Amino acid sequence: MTRSRLVLPVLALVALGVGFAAAVGAPREATQGEFARIMFVHVPSAWLAFLAFGVTLLGGVMWLIRKNMLWDRIAASSAEVGVFFTGLALITGMIWGYPVWGTFWDWGDARMMSTAVMFFVYTGYLALRRSVPDPETRARRSAVLGIIAFVQVPLVYFSVTIVRTLHQGLTFTGPDSSIDEGFVGPLLINLAAFTLVYVAFTTYRTRLLKIEDDLEAEEAIADLELAGLGITEPRLGGAAVDG
Amino acid sequence: MKRPGFWYQAREIARKDLIVEGRAGEALYITVPFGAVALMLIPLAVGTDKPLLATIGPGMYLAVSLLFGMLVAFRQTATDDASQRELLALLGTDPAAKFVGRAATSLLLMLVFSAVLVPVTILLYNPGRIEGWPWLILVIGLLASGLAMVGTLAGSVTAGLKTRSTLTPLLVAPLAMPMLLAAGQVLEALRDGSSILAWIVLLITTNLAMAAIGVATAEALEESSS
Repeated sequence: MTRSRLVLPVLALVALGVGFAAAVGAPREATQGEFARIMFVHVPSAWLAFLAFGVTLLGGVMWLIRKNMLWDRIAASSAEVGVFFTGLALITGMIWGYPVWGTFWDWGDARMMSTAVMFFVYTGYLALRRSVPDPETRARRSAVLGIIAFVQVPLVYFSVTIVRTLHQGLTFTGPDSSIDEGFVGPLLINLAAFTLVYVAFTTYRTRLLKIEDDLEAEEAIADLELAGLGITEPRLGGAAVDG
Repeated sequence: MKRPGFWYQAREIARKDLIVEGRAGEALYITVPFGAVALMLIPLAVGTDKPLLATIGPGMYLAVSLLFGMLVAFRQTATDDASQRELLALLGTDPAAKFVGRAATSLLLMLVFSAVLVPVTILLYNPGRIEGWPWLILVIGLLASGLAMVGTLAGSVTAGLKTRSTLTPLLVAPLAMPMLLAAGQVLEALRDGSSILAWIVLLITTNLAMAAIGVATAEALEESSS
């Protein structure tokens, strides 16, 4: 790995360290105590999930317009990272919910339910990608599913304004936003740190996907040379598109 | 020769799908009875507590409508093989018209499916009179229409894949959950006497979004499956 490629992960790690220090140094919340510090992981994770799925949508739309495989790889990488952040937001939310709300999971909470639904929608997106062996077909279908799946994002975001349930309203932009000034700085620092982590993960995953695609293409050429143009070797990589 | 218009094409696709379904009877003779059986299984699993069954009955109806509605939406009789797709492409069929026609057939079959399940639910669960029940007809219609479009879209996305039968439910179920949630909340709101407007708006918005996406992406999906 060249030195320039190390810059991004090192920066992300340093930023995470600064974010951790800011979270520990933030004032103690009056009613929730130390549990409120989970917010410094939970809120940035949720925001980054939205951003990641937004990039997946953009990548899909750009692929449909430009037909450049780079956009498909960006969309796929971003979706994977988005699923990771959604999972992190769900788990941290549940860990926080037990001591504060008295339950890990509340069936009536619109934000929890819609976030879980979003998690499964994008898990389906990733499952679809694994099921289509042909790169172009995979890119096209994933692009369409990425557009359909994005419908979930505004539903999750506005779920707390449509239904008033256990989850608090919008943190900054809501009419009843009441976040203390002492929390804003650490929250924004952690948001920046998580954004760097997202960029690092997505960049590396995109590169990895390019390497995988190149390897697959090389293997396909080698198979053709071995067997001749009239024969194609059975592949383990997935089902063929037919019928 | 003049090319047939969009709605004519959509109608012909729907007619073709209905003829195929009429011959095979996959949705009406297999999935509908299976849905009724599912409604019978739930009391066996949760016990024969009549007040409990009366309370959960309408919700179970919606859940079974969603789960089995998925089977109606991506039934095998709505699948084109490679030669059918090529023929439709050679005939110059508008992919958006194909989406509309196919979704319309699914909607019709799902409405029949939903209508058959209503008396079965009433007989098995005895849910009592629900105030404002005419709203439920609208909700069932919107749920069926949303599910028909999501199912048609997912069917196109997974067309031709060997993992189709397992992958499609994974795609449809979470995408349909907001609609199920909204329909369930309408039931609850009708019981409480609270406003149902937000939930109806959510159902209509989801339907419109799916219709717009289905029409806009039909051509891209058509290229992908040919």
